Amino acid sequence: MPFISKIQRQLDYSSFASDVPIVIDNGGSYFRIGWAGEADPRVIFRNIVQRPRHKTTGETVTIVGDHDPALLKYFDCTRSGPRSAFDSNVVYQFEIMEYILDFGFDRLGADQSQIDHPVLITECACNPIQSRCRMAELLFESYGVPSIAFGVDAAFSYRYNQRLGICKTDGLAICSGFMTSHAIPIINGEPVYEACCRTNVGGYHVTDYLKQLLSLKYPHHMPKLTWEKVEDLKMEHCYIAPDYASEVRIFQKGDKEAQDKTRCWQLPWTPSPVEEQPSEEELARKAALKERQGQRLREMAEAKRLSRINELENEQKGLEFLLQQLKQVEDYEVSSFLSVTGYSSRQEIESALAKVTQSLRKSKGEQVETEEKAESSMAEKYNLINVPDDVLTPEQLKEKRKQLFLKSTTEARQRAKQKRLEEELERERQMKLEEEKRLENPERYLEELHAKYQELSERVEQRKRLKTNGNNTNGNNNVPGGVGRGERLNAAQRERMRLLTTAAFDRGKGEDTFGIKDEDWQLYKLMSRDNDDDDDEKPNEDEAELLRVSSRLQEIDPTFFPKSESGSSTSEPPRFRPLTKEDFQIILGVERFRCPEILFNPNLIGIDQAGLDEMVGISIRRLPTKERGLEERITESILMTGGSCLYPGMAERLESGIRMIRPSGTPIQIYKAYDPILDAWRGASVYATAMQFPQQTFSRMDYYEKGEDWLRQYQMRYSI
Amino acid sequence: MEPEVLEAEIVLPTHLNFKKIQMYEKYPKGQSRGRHWKHLKQIIQAENYQNHPENEPNYVNIESPPSMHPCKRICDITGFEAPYFDPRTKLRYANTEVFKMIRSLPNDYVQRYLALRNAAVVLK
Repeated sequence: MPFISKIQRQLDYSSFASDVPIVIDNGGSYFRIGWAGEADPRVIFRNIVQRPRHKTTGETVTIVGDHDPALLKYFDCTRSGPRSAFDSNVVYQFEIMEYILDFGFDRLGADQSQIDHPVLITECACNPIQSRCRMAELLFESYGVPSIAFGVDAAFSYRYNQRLGICKTDGLAICSGFMTSHAIPIINGEPVYEACCRTNVGGYHVTDYLKQLLSLKYPHHMPKLTWEKVEDLKMEHCYIAPDYASEVRIFQKGDKEAQDKTRCWQLPWTPSPVEEQPSEEELARKAALKERQGQRLREMAEAKRLSRINELENEQKGLEFLLQQLKQVEDYEVSSFLSVTGYSSRQEIESALAKVTQSLRKSKGEQVETEEKAESSMAEKYNLINVPDDVLTPEQLKEKRKQLFLKSTTEARQRAKQKRLEEELERERQMKLEEEKRLENPERYLEELHAKYQELSERVEQRKRLKTNGNNTNGNNNVPGGVGRGERLNAAQRERMRLLTTAAFDRGKGEDTFGIKDEDWQLYKLMSRDNDDDDDEKPNEDEAELLRVSSRLQEIDPTFFPKSESGSSTSEPPRFRPLTKEDFQIILGVERFRCPEILFNPNLIGIDQAGLDEMVGISIRRLPTKERGLEERITESILMTGGSCLYPGMAERLESGIRMIRPSGTPIQIYKAYDPILDAWRGASVYATAMQFPQQTFSRMDYYEKGEDWLRQYQMRYSI
Repeated sequence: MEPEVLEAEIVLPTHLNFKKIQMYEKYPKGQSRGRHWKHLKQIIQAENYQNHPENEPNYVNIESPPSMHPCKRICDITGFEAPYFDPRTKLRYANTEVFKMIRSLPNDYVQRYLALRNAAVVLK
């Protein structure tokens, strides 16, 4: 990570004389403060403030900059996030600015009654006068600063690199910062603000775009995608494509090159504990237990059967005994004898006996051959059928009709049975056939089955869609691939609409013959709404076949899962699948160059302004002096600075972009700043050591005497 | 406060020796702050740039004009070049797979994708 905060308290504040200026680079993302003449700023921290509540004491505290997140666990940060003093690149919240300056001076080691050092602080190009005034006021009144100078970071950076011999006296600084990007032409070492131009796109937008894209792509991992993490990802992986269209085509093809360019961030993931396979012993123990239980059940059933047989035998014996007794009883005594036993007649006892005998036989496991008996007694049972009607008495006729009915029902029953049997045979035969096919070539069989399943499910889906489409008016989340928001009706509904319209507009045209024919009245039935869905009552064979195929697939293919009814979106992992390592990966493919692309095409995030390459052309066009050879001198020394210039491929892309808008043959030279992030501070630090620096500052007296309008005119001379 | 918090000194002290006016004097506790910071738009309005000569550079007129290049149309989901446009969701898409996907997207996701390029429907 290239950006690291330095917030150790400095201890040598008092060793600096009061004329040594303090240099502050007040950048959108980082605040840097240090002493003039030193190579590096002493203190660097993120330019943010948060005011969380301390959890145990409940007081609201102020925390400036970024700290070890482990320490923030003692604070309740839910109510207020980190806040910045900047709106775009202009300071507007001076309360926050004051906290930041407090922290900066405190860490620099200030301990006297006031800050008795001149201050050089950076601001954006053409800072609105209100912001500049408030900043001066704050520094003078709260901190007692004797004098202040305001400068522009890009100009300092250019001056510093010019001193290092990287760029020339005439040139152009492209400074892509946190919230904005500037192109500022520099002539004779002085920035030409009349010709500068600003696009409101910067590193913040790139990070935000990446964050949004990733959280839309991986909604499950949204909490993991914190601002800091995404910023890290951006710095590590993003690059500028030489040509967006051709780069994206590589990914669209998805071959090896694209795979090489894809980056993957593995989130912490622990595999869910795999269920242990029970040991042999365990399995055996379980089987034995099951067996024992089965044995016990069987024994119980046997005992029950025996007791029932016993009972039935007793009953049989009792009934037989009763019959024997009945034989000895005189006829006239029968009724009185029977009233004791509970039976009313001899026949009843006999039938009871027959029943008991039969159930006894059944429980003893013997075949009940009632049917054969029926077969044999067929002839005498239906004795009247073949006799002609005219020889029969009325009673016999009635009997005959009954016999006819009985016979036909028995026959029908038998036929049905036969048919069932045949069907069973057929199914078995088919199963055997399929099994053979499977054994013959398992893969092909599986493939065929899958294909069949696919086809069937599609057909069923299609039908369903056709059916539901008309009713589903806000169908944004219905079946994927559904057509239109109720743009089409199904056939029945279309017909109904046609009927309604003809009924509405046909009246009075020619002769009215409606109602002459009876079918005319059918029209109203068709028009009524209810007849829409009466054709789908019967489950069609496709669905049945689909069910069969899917069950068969489930049997033989362990990886097969039938599609869910609702047609859930593909991005959501099915619930029953165990989560794998891949589910915890954040893949960066096209995003790697899509996000920084917004610096060149702000249109992609809806900002209608020119990109970095065009800005150079605009800047050159805006130059007030049309000196000969000036434009060439400028394009020969273009310096990129600012944090967003660190992407690999930036210089190449800029060069090709500028070459497109400049006349052919223009010499173009792009330089990257020595350190795009710290050079602004370093340049300011060097500048503040110059002998003439005090003349560039203004004091409190100046400010109050000359007033706001003077401050508007205030402009620092860089080439001193 | 916990010892490690105190040691790291992450909490800004309320009283700082080097300040002439302390924060608690400027913004007394318990009093409504009543401060309303002008936002950038208000600041710019207050600047009255229209009263100044046109060739004088200011915060507003140094802004870049719209791009002269034709607007690049990329697929809102994948970033590929997008030849197609879905009139229902107003999203741009690259191919049929993406189309299937955007049709199955819930509406708030559609709006979030649109918001990425500042094209979402904003209800006021």
